[in-house]
Amino acid sequence: MQNAKDSFYMMLRTRLASLNPERTILLRGALRPGILVEEAEAPFSQFPNDVFVLRWLGMAADRDLASTMVAEQCEVVYQTCGTQSFGGLDRGRALSEMDEELLGILQPFYALKLNYTATPPAAMMTHVFWDDPVFAPVVIQRDRLSRSVVVVVYSYEEQGE
Amino acid sequence: MTATWFSAPAPVIRRLRAYFAPVNRIAQAPAVFDPSEQAGFNLDSPPPPWISLGWIQDFVRKPASKSGALMTGIPAAPLEQIRETLQAQLSLQFLTWTKLTMALATGSQHMNVLAPASGASPAADGAQAAPALTPQNGSSNTLILLASSDAAKFSPGSMIAVDADYAGQTGFVGAPVAGAYVRQAVSDVDYIRRVTFNVGLVSQVNATGLTLAEPLPGGAPAADAKLQPVVGFVDREGGSFYQEWSALFVMQGSQGERIFFHYPRLQPMTGGEEAVIPLNAKNQSGASRVLLKAQFLALSVTDPLDGERVVCYRSFLPAANALV
Repeated sequence: MQNAKDSFYMMLRTRLASLNPERTILLRGALRPGILVEEAEAPFSQFPNDVFVLRWLGMAADRDLASTMVAEQCEVVYQTCGTQSFGGLDRGRALSEMDEELLGILQPFYALKLNYTATPPAAMMTHVFWDDPVFAPVVIQRDRLSRSVVVVVYSYEEQGE
Repeated sequence: MTATWFSAPAPVIRRLRAYFAPVNRIAQAPAVFDPSEQAGFNLDSPPPPWISLGWIQDFVRKPASKSGALMTGIPAAPLEQIRETLQAQLSLQFLTWTKLTMALATGSQHMNVLAPASGASPAADGAQAAPALTPQNGSSNTLILLASSDAAKFSPGSMIAVDADYAGQTGFVGAPVAGAYVRQAVSDVDYIRRVTFNVGLVSQVNATGLTLAEPLPGGAPAADAKLQPVVGFVDREGGSFYQEWSALFVMQGSQGERIFFHYPRLQPMTGGEEAVIPLNAKNQSGASRVLLKAQFLALSVTDPLDGERVVCYRSFLPAANALV
């Protein structure tokens, strides 16, 4: 299961770096693509703006198959206040840009499953795949716009997992 | 070298893709899909002569072949099975409206509505057309060279039909796809350009001619070809002509596996029909999407491998490393 989660995140991160190299975050002294996994970072009191945050929530497994299929619910949360140069008046545009970026990096809807505990990461035999994203309405808190998107990520358990 | 493997469950697919290719009606030669050589093709760039018609939905295959039992003894008991009839039908909905999807979703000729001549009398298939123009030598499937005065009659976004004048012949007409079967000579010199599938969208116009957004299906204009502007398309409920196409449907699985359904000969078996689907399921009276519904009868071919008559080939390309 962890391999599937890692593969999903790393694929989105790679695609984001290609689609919009300017969306970055300075985290623990390193400049990285602007996407992170909440459970793999120190707890946040407030999510950073203009960054995609992945949260792993629900999970289910279907064991009545030739290989067990695992479905994991990933919530992608992002928020923005717009840019200072426009006094935040572009916050709607900034959120739309993130909406489009998320749609872009989710396609195609599959990625090769990799084992990231190995160096370099080892290719596994199956693919991780996911369903269409479900976008929740925008939440407005003063000058901050935020959105939550749910994606169900599927994978097959392989020998040794 | 060794390989590891896994047990692959039933394929999981998101959508279904459709490709069609013309049947040579005169030679009665359907298009071939070879799973040994073509199964790995890029879904966005099918091998010739296959034409992508994009995603489809509500794809239903209905085998209608019947088998009977050869009974023997007292009391009678089945001894053998025999195939009494061979038939299959399929239905689907196209998610786009194009010349080809519209033609496939109608039971008869599909015609181009040619731009009318000045002052022409109204007609249900389109009025008498404006005079055809002659492409100049050196034209290609994406560049139509014209006299500057002719090129000035077009603007980017225009549609054109390119084919020969009708000269009184009977039989199948239209290149490269037979768009109609003429039983009795007609009087319209533009008839072939009305039914031709050799149409294109003009993306650019300059003094030397027209650049097309996509290549003409029939390739570079033939020596006797002329072109006319097209304003739309029309088909009819009725008539005696049946379109006939080869079809290939592809299911792409989540693990890279592929399922192919190859129908060498398909003919539409119903008239034009649409499915109207609300964009918002909670607002049935709101904006709706109109989809083309198509229903086909699969016709048989004789497989040269063993002489068996068949109507469809189903191929499966397993995922890499999946146990078979």
